[in-house]
Amino acid sequence: MNEWTPVIAAFLCNWCSYAGADLAGTGRQQYPPYMRIIRVPCSGRVNPIFIIKALIDGADGVMVSGCHPGDCHYLAGNMYARRRFAVLKKLLSSAGIDPDRVHFTWVSASEGARFAEVARGVANAVKALGPNRIAGGDSQ
Amino acid sequence: MSFESQEKSLRELCESLLRDGKVKSVAGFGPQSPDTGLSPPLIAKTAGNAKRLSWNSRCVPSIARYLIGRDGPAAIAAKPCDARAVASLVTERQLERKDVFIIGMECAGMTDGSGAPLRACAECGTRRAPVCDAEITGAPETARGTRDAAEDFSPERFRREMDKCILCFSCRQACYGCYCETCFMDRGVPSWQSARPDVGAKMTYHLGRAMHLAGRCVECGACENVCASGVDARYLIRAATVFVEEEYGFRAGMDAQTPSALLTFKSDDPETGFWKDGKHD
Ligand code: SF4
Ligand code: SF4
Ligand code: SF4
Ligand code: FES
Repeated sequence: MNEWTPVIAAFLCNWCSYAGADLAGTGRQQYPPYMRIIRVPCSGRVNPIFIIKALIDGADGVMVSGCHPGDCHYLAGNMYARRRFAVLKKLLSSAGIDPDRVHFTWVSASEGARFAEVARGVANAVKALGPNRIAGGDSQ
Repeated sequence: MSFESQEKSLRELCESLLRDGKVKSVAGFGPQSPDTGLSPPLIAKTAGNAKRLSWNSRCVPSIARYLIGRDGPAAIAAKPCDARAVASLVTERQLERKDVFIIGMECAGMTDGSGAPLRACAECGTRRAPVCDAEITGAPETARGTRDAAEDFSPERFRREMDKCILCFSCRQACYGCYCETCFMDRGVPSWQSARPDVGAKMTYHLGRAMHLAGRCVECGACENVCASGVDARYLIRAATVFVEEEYGFRAGMDAQTPSALLTFKSDDPETGFWKDGKHD
């Protein structure tokens, strides 16, 4: 039983999606154990280079989740992030990185079930693509 | 209608600006190098030196960044792309609008050593600076192309260009927008650069830089012109440039007030490519 499992780097905002993931856990909602959760203070803190570097260094997928628009604890961090992510996704696909490897979404602290659902969806999308060979496996 | 007549007007204007103390320096182009034919950047600080300012079809470099950190008001003999770069630097608070006197040089497009139009210039339809304080018209008529509407944005093309790169960072040095004191590629802690100049390192640099130039690239072509390996470095950013224009209706440096698309937002911005329950669009 050697089913391949992807590595997915999940950058979650402390104030919402991270707590949402926690709630999913305490609520016994199943989500893939190979989500490597990285807690960030705000989706606006996610420098695009974090995502680029994760993909180049071999993460099979990346997920970023922040507070719903209007709910950012720093007022507009997610508003800036929204434009940044939209541009990044476009750029990544021009460079041949499948759009299905990179996912952006909003999950609040009370949406434990939704977090689990999105995480499963992301995992399925990434799994369908197979291992990441973006850097030809020759980086690192 | 010629480069010579524009050059004459430019020198006269700059001599008087410097003589009257309106500006402390003028950034422009110097006499053509006998070896390469290129007109290198020249900073004139006296009326006498303003006589050396040159204007010809080899005023290729991007010169806006030479204004950053200058003491006192400065003028610039600006191609339209230089004027856009200055306007962009003003919105980024690197320059104060009142400290820059933009002389918009009507532009026939710059050429390479053989007299053929540079790729960026051939694609650029802009003859006149969108922002300026004085204008020197009279550029020769030249055939100017437009963008290819069916431009190839395939990963193969990206890869083809990127593979030629030797990571010398000349494109960064040539770009008006790369004025960071420490570029992310030069940082030790954390280090984003891998030890070898492999595909991953090239991707890190070009994608990272593309994100920094997204919504800021003025398509001057300085990066591709300077590249010794023949990389179309401007193309590596173009997907972002085109997307920003289509999605947010923004082109960098068309005025000196509007902040770059990624430095602002609207509360109802589209979420193109975002996860929508069950799928992404
Ligand atoms: S694209 Fe050209 S100029 Fe830029 S780093 Fe690579 S080789 Fe150097
Ligand atoms: S690539 Fe980015 S970090 Fe480096 S100089 Fe240019 S803008 Fe600055
Ligand atoms: S990225 Fe290249 S084309 Fe764009 S502004 Fe910089 S030098 Fe000019
Ligand atoms: S605090 Fe959660 S996205 Fe800004």
